[in-house]
This record gives sequence, structure tokens and C-alpha cells, in this order.
Amino acid sequence: MAAHATGHAAHGAVGHVVPIRTLVGVLCVLLVLTVGTVGVTKVDLGPLNLLLALAIAVVKGALVLLYFMHLRWDRPFNAVVLISALVFFMIFVGLALMDAHNYQSEMIPGYGTLTP
Amino acid sequence: MISGSLRALVAAMGAGEGTFWLPSQASETAAEVDASFRLVYWISVFFLALITFLLVFFIVRYRERAGYERQQAPEHNTPLEVFWSVIPTLIVIGLFWSGYRSYLSLAVAPQNTYEILVTGQKWNWQFTYPNGYVDAQLHVPRDTAIKLIMSSQDVIHSFYAPNFRVKRDVIPGRYTQVWFTPLATGEYDVFCTEYCGTSHSAMLSKIVVHEPNEFDAWLEEASDFLTRMPPAEAGQMLYRMRGCKQCHSVDGTVGTGPTLAQLFGTSVSLVGGATVTVEENYLRSSIVDPQSQVVAGFEPVMPTYRGRLKDEEISAIIEYIKTLNQ
Amino acid sequence: MSSVGSEPGARRATAGGYGLEQDNYLTSSRGILSWIFTLDHKRIGVMYLISILSAFFLGGMFALLVRLELIAPGKTIVDADTYNQFFTLHGAIMIFLFIIPGIPAALGNVVLPLMLGARDVAFPRLNLASWWMWVAGACLAVVTLLTGGVDTGWTFYTPYSTSTGTSVIPIVTGVFILGFSSIFTGLNFIVTVHKLRPKGMTWFRMPLFLWAIYGTAVLQVLATPVLGITLMLLVAERALGVGIFDPALGGDPVLFQHFFWFYSHPAVYIMILPAMGVISEVVSIDSRKHIFGYRFIALSSVAIAILSFLVWGHHMFTSMSPLANMVFSALTFSVSIPSAIKVFNWLATMYRGTLVLNTPMLYALAFIFLFTVGGLTGLFLGMLAVDVHVHDTYFVVAHFHYVMFGGTVMAFLAGLHHWWPKITGRMFEEKWGKLAFWLVFVGFNTTFFIQFVAGTQGMPRRYWDYPERFTPYHVISSIGSFIMAAGFFVSLFCLLHSLMRGRLAPANPWGGNSLEWWTPSPPPTQNFDRTPEAEDPYDFTEWKYDRQVRGYVREGV
Repeated sequence: MAAHATGHAAHGAVGHVVPIRTLVGVLCVLLVLTVGTVGVTKVDLGPLNLLLALAIAVVKGALVLLYFMHLRWDRPFNAVVLISALVFFMIFVGLALMDAHNYQSEMIPGYGTLTP
Repeated sequence: MISGSLRALVAAMGAGEGTFWLPSQASETAAEVDASFRLVYWISVFFLALITFLLVFFIVRYRERAGYERQQAPEHNTPLEVFWSVIPTLIVIGLFWSGYRSYLSLAVAPQNTYEILVTGQKWNWQFTYPNGYVDAQLHVPRDTAIKLIMSSQDVIHSFYAPNFRVKRDVIPGRYTQVWFTPLATGEYDVFCTEYCGTSHSAMLSKIVVHEPNEFDAWLEEASDFLTRMPPAEAGQMLYRMRGCKQCHSVDGTVGTGPTLAQLFGTSVSLVGGATVTVEENYLRSSIVDPQSQVVAGFEPVMPTYRGRLKDEEISAIIEYIKTLNQ
Repeated sequence: MSSVGSEPGARRATAGGYGLEQDNYLTSSRGILSWIFTLDHKRIGVMYLISILSAFFLGGMFALLVRLELIAPGKTIVDADTYNQFFTLHGAIMIFLFIIPGIPAALGNVVLPLMLGARDVAFPRLNLASWWMWVAGACLAVVTLLTGGVDTGWTFYTPYSTSTGTSVIPIVTGVFILGFSSIFTGLNFIVTVHKLRPKGMTWFRMPLFLWAIYGTAVLQVLATPVLGITLMLLVAERALGVGIFDPALGGDPVLFQHFFWFYSHPAVYIMILPAMGVISEVVSIDSRKHIFGYRFIALSSVAIAILSFLVWGHHMFTSMSPLANMVFSALTFSVSIPSAIKVFNWLATMYRGTLVLNTPMLYALAFIFLFTVGGLTGLFLGMLAVDVHVHDTYFVVAHFHYVMFGGTVMAFLAGLHHWWPKITGRMFEEKWGKLAFWLVFVGFNTTFFIQFVAGTQGMPRRYWDYPERFTPYHVISSIGSFIMAAGFFVSLFCLLHSLMRGRLAPANPWGGNSLEWWTPSPPPTQNFDRTPEAEDPYDFTEWKYDRQVRGYVREGV
């Protein structure tokens, strides 16, 4: 079919192959960061603990997306799709949690345990 | 039937109470809400009239017919399109602002309010006054800021008083609030407006507005009902007001719960096989711990009244149930 | 009569080429298995059409039962529990089985590849899977009916839905599966529009119906999974007692509302965007004039798709915190502007056009009026103070029926009649089409306009019984519902009659220039023998009306 060829012309027969060295390297970085995540829990930094753990998670996630999921070498449109999805997720969770946070003062503490 | 309905509709249109669109205003904040309503209403009438006129005019003027020769027209006109994007944007900003300002009056209660607790349950409203008295209707003094603190016993309900232009969901596990200042004495509807099951449309009440100097007297007299009335009569009043009536009949009809008629002294089978004689102890336990001995053939859905009914009130109810054996 | 070309395949879209007299997709293979295992997008579209129209009639029956019960206060025909089931089933069936698949599945499936000059959609098997999932969801709805029904309202609010004794799990599982039907369709359409456009059809040379379908498809793919997860959590709570939404188990019931409406608000744009796409096509073709403001209309479809994700809280003004209320009210007004732009552009298209007042055009004109009413009343609901008064009353019921019915259903009927010749190869009789239209239009307004007044006067929704003073409103409304029902039966008759006795349809009865009109009615299985090169889809000047064919023909085609 004519339409088929246009989409694949840029990539050639097989497409871009990620060198094993790169994959192993990324794996090592991920393992180090995993050790780091666990290590962070051993030190008490107050609210910084959560932020640091989330930051490490974001870096790990980004490495998986860019290298293991090939996003680094794909068309930019794929990245647009991913980032839009994340943005919409953050809007959803953000606004819902903002509302829940604001009516927290109205919640009856321990309600779930009160009813028989 | 049709002409009667039309007559009633026309009568309602010109009625002294309220207008064609809105019921009469019973609270101070109702006027602000109605002003916002009128703003969006007239803007909408204008745009609907404009668009309808253009539609009809174009249909008549440009319809295909013998002898009609059409003239040239452009395929786009950027200044025009920008114009009719910007103007509506400015209008809706104005609408948001109006709605927001009026909402602030509804949402922010004044400092000193007379507080009444509201409990919603399937399918009945109960209002607890500051002295602990509980009634099925909301009595308030005129010209006093009233704050309702509301919670539900079971599912989500919603407290709606159309004449006061107030509505707020009544949620289990949470206290929500609503406030208003009544303008005039009288009786006004209260509806439940969050679907809550079988008798959602029967979960009604009234706001009864008293003259300020008469309200305290009413409350004192009403609270005193146990000393004023014989126990059985007090029990009947409690039966009607405290949510028993919605599920238990007194005429033999089986509802969500067993009928109370011809009940006292009889033997009933329970879920699980045991039988029990219905007398004071069983009735008292069924009121404060209703899930423990459920009559066979019924669901364990009755909410507990432990802490919500005083001992004397439970005794009064039992006395009333005894009278239902005739 | 223009010359019938003598090259092979020239029979395609010429005056002499009646699809039913040649090999076409309807007759190319026989037997029920050749339909339910088909990979042909046109056959899948026809199966969807039959399916969703059946759902529409079932949902409509429940609506008539509701209105019959409400014609007088107190019990009229059924008790409260049964009534509660009627309105729940009416809503759930209409929304999940009819209107969300609606235009994209029943009309889009047939028309989208044709408009692209393509052989089929990008993933034909996924397309078939979509329809099978619809059937699976419908089966679960039937199971629900047979195992005690459901009485939660189509919104399944907790904790009522986690505690009621009716068949919540089957219906919710059915909706979950229907969600996948929707996601598969959306995914398919996105890829098809991206990858299968012909030479010459850049994004801004696509028919506007395709922009609309594309926007809808993005919504389907992005929003539906949230409903899926929400329903799974509901099932987990009901079946396993996991405390998420039920406060008795330590959960938060308003959280359910956030989760539910995050999908269900974009869902209403899934319902209206394709409808607007249909209107753009019909108004332009039946004004015999280029659509006005193509770019603004195309971009407004994208704007609506994006903005629809930011406004879900406006369904919850009576249960959210005041701060959230203010944020969502402000955001809500943003989504009204692109819709307003479209209405003005359609009117401008009609200006100095030559209006052909056939059945599709009548439905399209009705759409413009009724959608305007629905849209303007949405402004009332976006204003905080006004919404507090009318939320959960008949005002809301009237509003959404004006946009979903007066909007989407009218556009669906416009599209159905507009593409009927292409799909079936038959012309319907205008007189029946117009009679049905007037009955539906008059019946609809009689049923629903008065509900605005009932609502502002305080009449709550989902009420089996009501105070005496609301009786006149309900009587008028119920009478209207029966007039409307009559209109639909006439419409059904009109279309079925055309299948048996309608004259054969030419390739281009209405004179459009989008590619579906370049192939016979109905098309052959492979759609086109040669992919035509795309032009401006709204340039009708090359097509001339031919009296013998009673359709439009074009030199050299």
C-alpha cells in the first residue's frame, strides 16, 4: 500500500539499534540510583526525604524512557505524546489533591473506625 | 387535565410568590444570587435571539428557489473572527466575576451565627438545637444569621432550600456548612438533592421561620415534650421525627424494617435461627444495637441510635409501640 | 449527461454508476459469519449502526417509562425502587451504549477511510475487536437487567454504590469493557488520520469532520483509562471491602467524584465534537458554499479537546472546597469560547449561500439553535452562585439534554441521513424525513424547555414523587416525550422504507467534494480503484447537478 512506505522510509530496514554498551551502562546507573533511594531512607532529612526520593525516581524513569524505550532516537512527536500524558496526569492529581487538602478540616477524624 | 395544568402554570407565572423563573426570596443573600441569575439570563436571551434571528433570516433570504441568484462572500475574515472570539471572552469573564462575588456571600458566614446541627440519613432530616433538642423540621428566628453544620449517617445527601438559594452536600465522615439569614416568617421547603435510594423524593423537611421574640419560647416548649406529653404520645412524636417512620410502618405494611403494629409481646424469628419475644429489652437493644438481632427476612441496614436518643426517649417509644397492639 | 469515461474503473463515480448494480461491500460476501468476522470498516460501521440504534431504542423505552411515571405526582405506574432503576438504566444505556460510541463508531467507521481515499483504517482487526467489546459490554448490561438491575444513577456515586443491593458489579464491568471499545476506536482513528492521508491532503486540507474525529479520538485514548481504573476501584471496594471511597471503611466519597468526573467531563466532549464535525460538513454542502473560517473551526476542535480536561470540578460545586470551586468555575468558562466560535462560523457559512433545505440540513439547522440553548444554559451552571441554586435540579437535566440530544442526536440524525445514500445505496423519501424531523423537533422542545423552569423553581432531579405545584411542568414534559417518540418511529419507518423501496442513490447526491463522494453509493469493498488526489474538500464548483441522475456529476470523473 502506498501510504505504508512513507512512514518507514526514514528508518531503513531494521531501525536504530542501541549498542549493548549503552544499555548496560544505563542499567548500572539505575542500580546505583536504586541503592541511593534505599540509602536516602536511612538518613532523616524531614520533608527533604520525600523530595529526594521522588527526584531520584524521576531521573530513573527518564533514563528508562529515553534509553530502554528508545525515546531519545524516536520522532519528537512521541515525546510530545508522553509529556502531554504526564501533564494531564499532574493536572488531575494536583487539582483533586488540592481540593481534598482544602476540605481536610471538615473531615471527622477516625470516622471509619467509629461505625460498627 | 391539560387545560387545568396550563391554568395552574399561568397562575404560577404571575403569582405573588417569586417570578416565572425563581421562587420567592427568603434569605438576605438570595437577592445577590438572583442578580447574577438575571445577568446571565438577559445576556443569554440576547445571544439566543440574535442567533435565532440570523438563522431564520438566512433560511428565508438564501434558500434555494427559482430566481434566486447568490452573491459572492469571503471564506474567512480574520478581524471578524477575532472580534467574535474576544467579545465572548470578555463577557464570560464578567459572568465568572458575578458568580464568584455572589458565591462569596454564600460561602463565608458572618462571625456570630446561631448554630444548628443537621443530620441526614436515609430518608429523614434531623435538626439538633443548641439545647440538645432534636426535631425533624428546621425552626429558626427571623433576621438572625443561622449556620447549619451538617453530616450524614450513611450515604451522600444534599441539603437544598430553594427559597434561600442554599445547597450543600451532606457527606458521611465529614462536616459541611451552610449559612443564611431568614428575611420573613413562614414555612419553606427543604429537599434532599443528592440521590440516596428508595425514598430520596420523600426526604423532605421545612424551614419554619419564627418572629425573633417567639423563637425561644417555641424551643423551650418543644424541648419539654417529655414532661408535657404522656409517654406514648411523646413516643409517637419521636417515631415521626427521628427517622423511624421512613422504614417501620404502624399499619401492618412491611417496609425496609418490620411493622410495629401488633408487635409487642409477640415472638419473632431472627436471622440465624433463634427466636425472641418482643418486649422492653429486645426493643431497647434493637434501637441502640440494631445489627445484633435482626428479624429474619430483613437486611441489617438500621443505623444505631446509641447516644442519639436519651433513655427516657427510648422508654417513650416503647410505650408508643405497646399502644399499637389495638 | 456527462460522458461516461471508458477507462477501466471509470464506472466509479460517474452518473451511471449505481453502487447497488455493481459489486459493492454489502453484497460482496454473504452469511452472518462474513459480517461478524469482517475486517471491512464499512461493514463494521453498519454493525455498529444497528447496535447503537438498538441501544437507543432500549434507552428510549426507559425514558418513556420515566416520563410516564412522572406525569402525575405519587405512584403512577411503578414504585420508587423500580423508578430509580428506570432512570439509572436510561442514563447508563444512552451514555455508554449509544452516545459515546455514537457518531465515531457508527458513522466515522464508514466515512473516515472514504474521506481519506484509503482502503481501510490503520488497524482493521482492532476495529473489529472494538465492536466485539461493545457487544460484550451490552451483554453485561443485559445480565445486569436480568439479575436485579441497578439503581445508583449512571454516576455510581459512593457510598451509595458500594452499599446498595442491586447489580452494580455486572454493569460496572460492562462499562469497563465498553471503555476499551472506545479506546481501541480512538487509537485506530488517531493512527489512521496521521498515517493514511492521501497525496495533497495536508492537515489543513482535511475535511473538518476528520479534525473533529481526531480530537475525539485523542480524548477517548487519554480520558477513558481513568474511568476504567475508577470502576475497578469501585469493584474492589464492593467485592473486597478495600477502603478507598467509603468513609465507613476509612475512604473519601468525594474522591470518587473527582476520579469519575475527570473522565466523564471529557466524555461529554467525546459526545459533542464529532457532532460538530458533522454539522460543518452538512451546513457547508447544503449551503453550496465553502465553510467559513476553516482554520478557526479546526483549531477550536483541538482547543475544546485540551480544555475539556481542566473543568471536571464544575460537576461538584456543592461538595468541593470553596477554593477548588473558584478555580474550576474560572476554568469552565474557557471551554465555552471555542464552541461559540463554531456557531458563528456556521452562520457565516450560510450567509449568501444557496440553502438546500433537505432533511440533513433541517437537522443541522435545528442543531445550531438547540446547541445554542444548551451552551448558553451551560454558562448559568458555570457561575458559582447560580449553580448552587440549580445544581441537581431539572435545570441540569434540561441543559444536558439540550446539548446531548438537541446537539449530538440531532447531528447524528443529520449525518445518518446525509451519509445514508453512501452507506446503503438508497435515497430515503424526503417527506417522511421531514415529518419525522418536525415531530422530533417540536416534541424535544416541549419535553425539555419547561424543565429549565421546573429546575429554577426548585424541582430536584431523580425524584419519583414531587410536590403538587410542579405537576404542570411534568405534564407538559411528558406529553412532549410522546410526540418525540412518534417522530423517531416515523424516522425508523422512513429509513427502513428506503431500504426496500428507495430509489438507487447516485455517487454524489448532495454535491460534496470530499473523497467519499468520488466513489459509488455504496462503495465497492476496496473503496477506490485508484486513490483520488485530494483537493479542497469545500470547493463544490466543479460538481454540476444532473437531472437524470438526480445527483451531482463532475467532468472527467
